[in-house]
Amino acid sequence: MSTRTLVSPAQLARPRGKAVYRTVFGLVVTGFTLVFLGPLYWMISSGFKDSQEVVRTPPTWVPQSFAPDNYSRAWEVMDLSTLLFNTLYYAFGALAFQLVLDVAAAYALSKLRPVLGKAILGMMLATLMIPATVLVVPQYLTVLDVPVVQRNLLDTPWAIWLPSVTNAFTVFLLKRFFDSIPQEILDAAAMDGASPVRILWSIVLPVSRPILGVVSIFAVVGIWKDFLWPMLTLPDPSKQTLNVGIYSLSNGVPVNVLIAALTIASLPTLLLFLVFQRNIMSGLTAGGLKG
Amino acid sequence: MSAPSLTKTPAGTSRRTAPPRPAGRPSRSERFSRGLRRNLTAHGFLIGAVLCFAVFSWYPMIREFFLAFQKTEAGGTHWVGLDNLRTVVNDPAFWQAWRNTLLFTLLALLIGFAVPFLVAIVINEFRHGQGYLRLLVYLPVMLPPVASVLLFKYLYDPGYGLLNEILRFLHLPEQQWLQDPDLAMPSVVIAATWMNMGGATLIYLAALQGIPGELYEAAELDGAGLLRKIWHVTIPQTRLILSLMLLMQIIATMQVFIEPFLLTGGAGPEGSTTTVVYLIYQYAFNFNNYGAAAALGLLLLVLLAGFSAAYARLSRARDE
Amino acid sequence: MRTARLRRTRRTGAIAVVSALTLTALAACGTSSSDNGSGNSGSGSSDPAAPLNPKTKVTITIDCMPPAAKAAELKEWKEDVAEFHKTYPNVTIEGRSTPGQCLEPPRFTAMLKAHSQPDVFYTYFTDLPQVLDNDGAEDITAYVTDKTVPLLKDIDPNVLASLKHDGKLYGLPTSNYTMGLLINRKLFQQAGLDPDNPPRTWDEVRAAAKKIAGLGDGIAGFGEYSAANTGGWHFTAHMYSRGGDIVDATGKKAAFDNATGREVARTLHAMRWEDDSMGKTQLLKWGDLQKQIATDKLGMFLAAPDDIAYMVQQLGAKYENFGMGPIPGEKATLAGGNNYMIKKGISGDKIKAAIAWLNFKNLTVGKGQFDWARTKADNLPVGVPQPNFWLGESKKKDDGARLANATMPVANFKTFMDNPVPGKAEPPKAQEIYKVLDNVMSGILTDKDADIDKLLSTAADQVDQVLANQ
Repeated sequence: MSTRTLVSPAQLARPRGKAVYRTVFGLVVTGFTLVFLGPLYWMISSGFKDSQEVVRTPPTWVPQSFAPDNYSRAWEVMDLSTLLFNTLYYAFGALAFQLVLDVAAAYALSKLRPVLGKAILGMMLATLMIPATVLVVPQYLTVLDVPVVQRNLLDTPWAIWLPSVTNAFTVFLLKRFFDSIPQEILDAAAMDGASPVRILWSIVLPVSRPILGVVSIFAVVGIWKDFLWPMLTLPDPSKQTLNVGIYSLSNGVPVNVLIAALTIASLPTLLLFLVFQRNIMSGLTAGGLKG
Repeated sequence: MSAPSLTKTPAGTSRRTAPPRPAGRPSRSERFSRGLRRNLTAHGFLIGAVLCFAVFSWYPMIREFFLAFQKTEAGGTHWVGLDNLRTVVNDPAFWQAWRNTLLFTLLALLIGFAVPFLVAIVINEFRHGQGYLRLLVYLPVMLPPVASVLLFKYLYDPGYGLLNEILRFLHLPEQQWLQDPDLAMPSVVIAATWMNMGGATLIYLAALQGIPGELYEAAELDGAGLLRKIWHVTIPQTRLILSLMLLMQIIATMQVFIEPFLLTGGAGPEGSTTTVVYLIYQYAFNFNNYGAAAALGLLLLVLLAGFSAAYARLSRARDE
Repeated sequence: MRTARLRRTRRTGAIAVVSALTLTALAACGTSSSDNGSGNSGSGSSDPAAPLNPKTKVTITIDCMPPAAKAAELKEWKEDVAEFHKTYPNVTIEGRSTPGQCLEPPRFTAMLKAHSQPDVFYTYFTDLPQVLDNDGAEDITAYVTDKTVPLLKDIDPNVLASLKHDGKLYGLPTSNYTMGLLINRKLFQQAGLDPDNPPRTWDEVRAAAKKIAGLGDGIAGFGEYSAANTGGWHFTAHMYSRGGDIVDATGKKAAFDNATGREVARTLHAMRWEDDSMGKTQLLKWGDLQKQIATDKLGMFLAAPDDIAYMVQQLGAKYENFGMGPIPGEKATLAGGNNYMIKKGISGDKIKAAIAWLNFKNLTVGKGQFDWARTKADNLPVGVPQPNFWLGESKKKDDGARLANATMPVANFKTFMDNPVPGKAEPPKAQEIYKVLDNVMSGILTDKDADIDKLLSTAADQVDQVLANQ
């Protein structure tokens, strides 16, 4: 490891330092494994217990019964493939909208500096101060009957996509990053006759890849985690997200089937994450600071 | 809650692009028309996002104010002045909800804010296994939150739950967790931290890696121990991110909904996990009283705006 | 104002219906319509009392159609629609389904606010004030007559009364319930109790619970809710059972901060903490006790009979395992139910079509949901004592059909059936009051040192405020 951190290398090199390091390291690795993988083990294994064992006091560490049909029943009753597809559809749609509209807006605010730009940015940032949950009621009423166009967006993906664009934090992050791109470069390109779109596309975006990665992850995770909003705006069960689908299900099935359902619902993204973890993690950290 | 990150100047930007070419001075009219064109283009770029903001953010914000002073009944909507506010303040659950929300925020700061930072500091010291640890910490973020919360509900069960089994195994007294009025809120915070700490930890890790090593060396020359190094180097060096994360955390935790909603049914033992947002939800969607919901929302809004303003003022004062 | 969240079962679907039989009742009603509107062919009569002209072409949307997961019930729904078409070939029934409960309070509230409810929409009895506040339902008094709903006279007037406001009728019932004491027969036997004689007083309940909890292995004798407003709902049931009330006759004051209220609270507190017979897990809400009793972890709890069908269908329990007695105390029992209302502002023909459909599906003995022979043939439960809103001749016929087609040991519900307890509706502002009373319940059940007098007096103050704020 090249970078110097809190504890001095000299201290670590000493025999006592080494011992302490090893102990702490061992403890932390074991502890973290238990804390973060333990619940997952519990979830997967409990999903195999029969309906009696799953609520036995005291609980069993290793399933004594084996009821794999919990999983097939869970799969049937909750129609996971639809829910998962819906969630991804909403998430990536929202991502596309945010990338196009918010990047364009941030670019305009940062580099083109139009009249009233500051006021617009200020008004956007002001929305950060308003808790999303406070706005749920009036936003819901708006989605039911969008002003001017008079459309009801209930049960359509637009009810998720369009409000997701109003993410002032994303605009703010993008704008800050764009601010740091030297203006002279853009001016030079403009002198060469490049249009603003071209400048955005071939100069700004390529150097902004890290921040775009961060923003994308936030966008997808945001939809992935949302609960109250999709619950209200997507009443049609065939259009619901995974979160809302599991919630609707949770009361109506036995405990072991519910736990099996939780496992199934968690698996796809866990697998995706394990496969792409390098990209996701480096996207998150690199985008944050390393440039 | 998704976590923010601060960006620094992207190093190498200038290296990758061509040097500016000298250009002649444009004439006055040319400059004017260029300015106009630039403005038009700029607004063209802005229009999509601005429309979305206008329809789904600004308009609802204004509507929220109207709703707070109106009442809808059979026969239409009419103005009721401060009636909604009065209803809300007179609700016996009002003060309790505020107390709980503040308690939750406090706990979230003690646990949810401090833990990821400490975890990041520890992980950052390791010479190996960093990737594995980061992976572990971030894993829960990838689970559907409803799945995590329901899993925790199962873990917390005083009878067949795993946590009490662990306590029994360690010969410690069993707890009632979510069912103990004193323990319910901390239990909710622990679950929330487990679910959400991954993002913050990664951001802190990135920030820590940006601290120049010489600073620690200099501190050591002054004879600073571990804690003093953290206090005098690590924290000041990451102050910007820490303070921004703090604000984000406060705003996020004051809006907490799903965790208490699913873990304790919202209200909790003797109302000990009733939060302001849960109360808003109750008014709007269980009591069919949008006016009261909007009025309470307005109060929450004022408080959070106050926090943000105080933060802005403090950070400005410190920068100057 | 609703018990919605409390009643998660999809009731219409839960008790289901029928083989393809002919439409005697409906046909008769169709005939009388043509007699009646002799000079009036083509599209519908403007007289609301006249039944729908069978030639009328109209489409109605309706919610709470059984979801695909409930294949048998959906099949019956489709059969009923087909049969209905024989009489009204031009009426299209467009059903909407929900996999979970038909009515989730947040969604329902939002739907009313948006006026996005279907033409015919499902509600609970207690929803009426909310629906009227949102101007959501049509006054159907003039449309509902013994011509459009031939068995109107045999429907329990108490049930209809809960759908009326200022003398106007706003809905037609699909089912009703009264609460009783649901028991797990297996645990009763194991504990040496007689499952055919469920406890009839609260003292007996306490003694029985203690015995059952004595079986160990995490088994609770008696269970109660204390979260998500269901705790308050059941506290109300406890009060009623002892002859108490939640709100006094004026509708302005709380009526539970008294000896009866303290008796309820003390008994539960003693059962939880002295006898340790109520299990460790508290903050339960609707659905949780059902899971416990279905896995033989719970001996008794207060429930409506249709919970049994729910547990068998969704939780894999067995009918034989359950029995029911009247609510202990037997002074009065909480009563409620659900119904369909008709969206305000839709055309007269649509209203008539809706009433014709509801009459056929839900209000005809031997048809639709009361076609017990079909229900049995489809392997759905027959023999649960409710819904049962019939009186007189219709009751006799319906009870006979139930018995003849019973798929479960009906004797297990004998004590419940033989000892009817007068039903009592929920208090005004029910949900807001339940929220307050949740605190009483959770206080009793989670705090060993709970100060019962203080819990009750605080709650009473709060309820007074809720009532004053209307």
